[in-house]
Amino acid sequence: MTKLDQSVADLSHTDLAARVAAIPGSAEAVERGGSLWISAPLLDVEAMAREMKALGYRLITMTARAREDGETTIIYHYAQRREYVSFTTSTRGGAIASVTPMLRMASWIEREIHDFFAVRFIGHPNLIPLLRPPELKNGFFRKPEPDSVATADK
Amino acid sequence: MPYTIPIGPYHPALEEPYKLSVRCTADTVQEATIEIGVTCRAIELVVQSREWVPAVTLIERVCGICSNVHAMTFCRAAEQIAGIEVPPRAQYIRTIIAEAERIHSHLLWAGVAAECIGFQTLFMEIYALREQVMDLLETISGNRVNYGMNRIGGVNRDIPDPKPLIAAVQAMAEPIEKDVVPAFMNNPTATRRTAGVGPLTKDQAIEWGVVGPIARASGLAIDIRSDRPYNAYAELGFKMVTRQEGDVQARVVVRALEMLESIRLIIEALRNIPPGPLRAFEGVPKIPPGEGFAVTEGPRGEAFYYVASDGGKTPARVKIRTPSFVNVPPLEVITIGQQFGDMALIQASTDPCIACIDR
Repeated sequence: MTKLDQSVADLSHTDLAARVAAIPGSAEAVERGGSLWISAPLLDVEAMAREMKALGYRLITMTARAREDGETTIIYHYAQRREYVSFTTSTRGGAIASVTPMLRMASWIEREIHDFFAVRFIGHPNLIPLLRPPELKNGFFRKPEPDSVATADK
Repeated sequence: MPYTIPIGPYHPALEEPYKLSVRCTADTVQEATIEIGVTCRAIELVVQSREWVPAVTLIERVCGICSNVHAMTFCRAAEQIAGIEVPPRAQYIRTIIAEAERIHSHLLWAGVAAECIGFQTLFMEIYALREQVMDLLETISGNRVNYGMNRIGGVNRDIPDPKPLIAAVQAMAEPIEKDVVPAFMNNPTATRRTAGVGPLTKDQAIEWGVVGPIARASGLAIDIRSDRPYNAYAELGFKMVTRQEGDVQARVVVRALEMLESIRLIIEALRNIPPGPLRAFEGVPKIPPGEGFAVTEGPRGEAFYYVASDGGKTPARVKIRTPSFVNVPPLEVITIGQQFGDMALIQASTDPCIACIDR
């Protein structure tokens, strides 16, 4: 039996909400659209990745959204069978810790966000272009903002 | 002495551009690296300048094979934000199209696999079958691909007379059940090239987050149709197909047996399609400020769409996670220790869609 099978043994929504709320920097979970959403600007994403892995949750993907202050909202979408949990946090100074060292499958996701939004993932072992056409700079999904924190890598 | 061979970016077997570089000793692969991005269209960015109706048309072009699942998943995410209830008849029609598309995709893949192992007669039989399901899709939608069936709030076209379609779908069951499935499961030409080749263990499947038939072929029982039922799946019932072996043969068998379940689902849906409207409203949708996501089980696995609206005429953000985006990276482990001559088949066994990955 794998870790995933074992952990499917059913945390209630209440227990799950308590576990995710206990992650450093996390916040109270809100149920919306049949899923849990946690909005936590100062979330410790490495602690989140460890805890969700321990709970047997699979990282589906990460969504990035450019913010007007130059930072980037990052949403980590997790699933375990019918349960879905999304953590919304933010870059700090255009950067955030990479979860790739503990979640191999996060590598391409973070490289793509680096291409599109110029987010620096601290600790990513190989943050090279994935999808970005060579004639474009990192962050071409962002509106041009000369004073942006997340300025393009050269 | 070790040597490196680049396969791609114009791929010799799959005819989509990506590059797998394999480092070999003699004929055995020691290391593999993947490069993608040759066809990046930045659809996620472009769609932010499309109004909600043409956005569906653009999203449908993420992929030429599983086009419907993209449009449908995008619509479902928008419907969730707006609290739109899709009428039951539209839910059934969405299910019928989705399962016909799955058969189309699996047959396409099975044909590629047959060709990769030099089984040309099987390839021809499979592609003849594929024409039948494309005829079915054309009969319903008017199109062989990019069906244009989905709209936010329902579907664009009705299925006014299901009876002739039931006979057409039933006609596909026998050749799949009696020819295609046994050919891949029992014929030595197929089994000697696929059994034990390109294995992915269950733990590796979890580690890499793979989805769809590849996950199920490695014993991972995940399928959105049963885990988080949508459309008409809860009413029609659904039987998941899994295998434990995790090799190319298991991936072949899972897809072959899934086609039979898709046929059953289409027939049940056509027999029980409820009366009623095709859409929740007429006219242009108004999506209020908010965010939401939808997941559906595409032919290659879970398709995930996050959509955000600021209440304007266009989506504020659309994030697309296609199944191939997570199913292709494990090639870096699946290929290790395998024969170089099996590279085309092993890559094909992940059913990679580069249009989906690059978007």
